[in-house]
Amino acid sequence: MLEKMIEMIEKNSESMAEDLKEKLLSDPDTKSFQTLDDKVLYEDIHAFYSRLGYWLLRDPEMGDVKSYYTEIGKRRRMEGFSITELVRSLILTKKHVWDAVLEKGIMDAPVELNSGIDFITYLNRFFDFAIYYTTLGYYKSLGVS
Amino acid sequence: MLTRRIVDLIQGNAAELSKSIVNEILSHPTTKSYHNIDEKTLLDMIYDICSRFSYWLSEDDDRGEVKKHYRDLGKRRFEQGITLPEVVSALYLTKRKLWEFITAHRDVTSSLDLNQILETSFLLVRFFDHAVVHVTEGYEEILKEKYGYEAPLRNPERFAEAMAEKEKRMRVMKEKPRLPELCFTKGMIRLEG
Repeated sequence: MLEKMIEMIEKNSESMAEDLKEKLLSDPDTKSFQTLDDKVLYEDIHAFYSRLGYWLLRDPEMGDVKSYYTEIGKRRRMEGFSITELVRSLILTKKHVWDAVLEKGIMDAPVELNSGIDFITYLNRFFDFAIYYTTLGYYKSLGVS
Repeated sequence: MLTRRIVDLIQGNAAELSKSIVNEILSHPTTKSYHNIDEKTLLDMIYDICSRFSYWLSEDDDRGEVKKHYRDLGKRRFEQGITLPEVVSALYLTKRKLWEFITAHRDVTSSLDLNQILETSFLLVRFFDHAVVHVTEGYEEILKEKYGYEAPLRNPERFAEAMAEKEKRMRVMKEKPRLPELCFTKGMIRLEG
């Protein structure tokens, strides 16, 4: 079931990436994303959605999650983004994934609810670390002691 | 609306839960500077969340209490010498402990209980999402006050410049690529254009 939820997101990664891109671009709280090239923004989001299983099912405390999001925090700081905007964008992404799972009505039977709880656990664990490492990368590059 | 059973479970175990969360924060490598804070003050703050779990989780963000509380907390933590990533990590460690506690009590035979857990998870996630956003806002505000740091794109002029740069990049990409004209002169190739 957990795999079914991940597969559903990965299969719909193109339309979901387009949808999230529009949300980020139209939300006044994530305004700085408007300064990025639309295609690059779409590709970044699509790269995440199309490999959701890869991201969610690995140990977020180390490896790719740590290096990727620390680097994102640093890069976005250089591009002029505020840290609150980055945090908001990651929360928006998490909500977007979860809303998609709910909309597809995958969780009806009790066994599916159990998988839903597992899914939300993985999803939150991943985004907690993604937000933590983004904040870390951003903060370190500020050079505040 | 939180279910009575889950609220009773958390609130009834508030003292024990708070201690375990404080121990986690004080021993975790991502929250080292929390040793700067008086342990009793930290315990009281976490006990407040656990003992009034229902109140905090059902608090409407628009009402502003969560917003004010966590913005002020962000500023206070800065003054206490705790970095923003540490504050964020402490909030997530708290959430994780609460979530582990709730899911450890899941009853696999009852779909109603699973529904309740799932519903609680929405509220728990929503609460901590707001807390992290507002604590970050508070931290950014004090960074501006103390160091004069403001994210460049917050400045309308800098934002307009960045948008103009983007337009320029887009225009170049949309233009048809022009091939240079080839002029053959005595065996040499001269590129023009």
